[in-house]
Amino acid sequence: MTTATLFILLFFCMLIGMPISIALGFSSIVTILLFSHDSLASIALKLFESLSEHYTLLAIPFFILSSSFLSTGGVAKRLIRFAIDCVGHIKGGLAMASVMACMLFAAVSGSSPATVAAIGTIVIAGMVRSGYPESFAAGVITNAGTLGILIPPSIVMLVYSAATEVSAAKMFMAGFIPGIMMGLMLMAAIYVVARIKHLPSQPWPGFREIMSSGFSASGGLMLIVIVLGSIYGGIASPTEAAAVSAVYAFLVSVFGYRDMGPLKGKPWRHSGEGAVAMVSRNLWQSLLTFPRALVDKEIQHTVLDAAKVSIMLLFIIANAMLFAHVLTTERIPHVIADTIVHWGLEPWMFLIVMNLLLLAAGNFMEPSAILLIMAPILFPIATKLGIDPIHLGIIMVVNMEIGMLTPPVGLNLFVTAGITGNSIGWVIKAVLPWLLLLLLFLILITYIPQISLFLPEYLDKLQGYK
Amino acid sequence: MLLRMLNRAEEGIISLLLVAMTLLVFVEVVMRFVFDSGFLWAQELTLHLSAWFVLFGVSYGLKVGAHIGVDAFIKKLPEIGQRVFSVIAVLLSLAYCGLFIYGSWIYLAKMKKIQIELEDLPIQTWIAHSILVIGLVFLSIRLLQLLWHIIKGDVTGFSHKTEAEESMHLAEELASESERLDEEKK
Repeated sequence: MTTATLFILLFFCMLIGMPISIALGFSSIVTILLFSHDSLASIALKLFESLSEHYTLLAIPFFILSSSFLSTGGVAKRLIRFAIDCVGHIKGGLAMASVMACMLFAAVSGSSPATVAAIGTIVIAGMVRSGYPESFAAGVITNAGTLGILIPPSIVMLVYSAATEVSAAKMFMAGFIPGIMMGLMLMAAIYVVARIKHLPSQPWPGFREIMSSGFSASGGLMLIVIVLGSIYGGIASPTEAAAVSAVYAFLVSVFGYRDMGPLKGKPWRHSGEGAVAMVSRNLWQSLLTFPRALVDKEIQHTVLDAAKVSIMLLFIIANAMLFAHVLTTERIPHVIADTIVHWGLEPWMFLIVMNLLLLAAGNFMEPSAILLIMAPILFPIATKLGIDPIHLGIIMVVNMEIGMLTPPVGLNLFVTAGITGNSIGWVIKAVLPWLLLLLLFLILITYIPQISLFLPEYLDKLQGYK
Repeated sequence: MLLRMLNRAEEGIISLLLVAMTLLVFVEVVMRFVFDSGFLWAQELTLHLSAWFVLFGVSYGLKVGAHIGVDAFIKKLPEIGQRVFSVIAVLLSLAYCGLFIYGSWIYLAKMKKIQIELEDLPIQTWIAHSILVIGLVFLSIRLLQLLWHIIKGDVTGFSHKTEAEESMHLAEELASESERLDEEKK
């Protein structure tokens, strides 16, 4: 009865278009009022505490802030140039370079649709110009863009740890190998297609050019090194790493790359300028920039954009914690888990059912919302069946990736349709062969836990925990 | 004029809270690594700033359509159906606000009566937690505005901007830039 009330209310509220955050909170508070003895005052306090007692949650706004500083066209262009220099000379190299650029941009931005928009706009046109079929280019990019939520630092993983209290640092370690593996799988498939279809390759650019483009891309790439290095090395928590990366991203985009803010468009070196003149000019210009950055329209806009997304996500999380509270106090997942064990359902069968359920949900909702609703239900069941919580998290994230490619809510589909000017139907057809590859990857991830668990366990061993 | 100033103030406060949280944690990290020390109160302050940031910003999020929702079903209905269901959705959201405002009020009144301070900061708990009522009252006001607009027929329901739409500005920026370059070449 309690379960039915909770879920019927939740689904009704969501169907009629209520914001997911309010739908979660409303269905939870009504269920509590009807079936339990908690007072309204204690529920209100719980909502406040879910925002004021979870230090790890703060990593979410900080990472969003850092990614909004670096999710710019300028950063995308630098990463693409570097990627093309690295792998462009192989057959089908332009497509492989796009995948690599997607992986790098995904790590910096943590957002899949933003990756497709930024990388796709440049490389799809470029690939068509050098003789690739447009549907091939669009399919590759739409798929590679989904890596944004799997390659750490990833906001979706932070949401999963918020929902289940699994360590975010461990999730970041676990996502690394699967992310690289998926990228390599895509590249290998591209190579095979390129051999068959005789797709073109780029000329070898020479080491000087690689060094120069590598240096130009390093401002963005260093962010990945700082964040992952400090988390993997165990010297900073994800929250601290995120705050440092936000400050770093601000400095790089305003002072280093000069993609936004008061220094925008001012070159590091004018042609014919002496070394001493250059250094002193840049020095006083940078000093002047600090006060001017505070009132700069573009920077204010970037911060406000990050604030909007953070508020939306954190408010859903706060309400989802109420929802999870109702689930636990009513022991709903435990009852389901007992039933499943009673049926004699094996873990591998449960994983199939879970994957199907998540894939279905992925058609209608956005990744973070699905995780916040499904994780508190699936997590206790999986633990009871002996499935590792971190492995479970990675499986869920890979499912969410696929959800970004399936209509009607596949975010990446919309972005690709927008940037190529084609219909959604056309994009779906272009994506389909690559989607099959992603499904194969999901099966691998689901049934070989070592892919996800190797790195976190290895790092634990290095630090002497085991 | 006054309305525009209020809008700017709201956006300013939200941005300021986010930047303050970020810098606080950043300074704490620097203090720990460089000076091997820290502030006892920093964590509690950051966390309370985050609660204020979210609860103060919720109503702003509603205004700019930042909250995500499911509209696959409701968009299939004729316009009148969309508006009827949206009115129900707004009324239920108002009920949500009402329940929370009532609960928070009781809680804050109790806290005010027993005069407890926060753990590390010398601030009264009822003041630190008062954003619960403030934020949800603001949210109710914006919901009432939305209700009025739906009834008048200006809009058909909540506006949910997806991440995909938000990302398109990146694509537009890059596309217009490359067009400009092409023209310069000619």
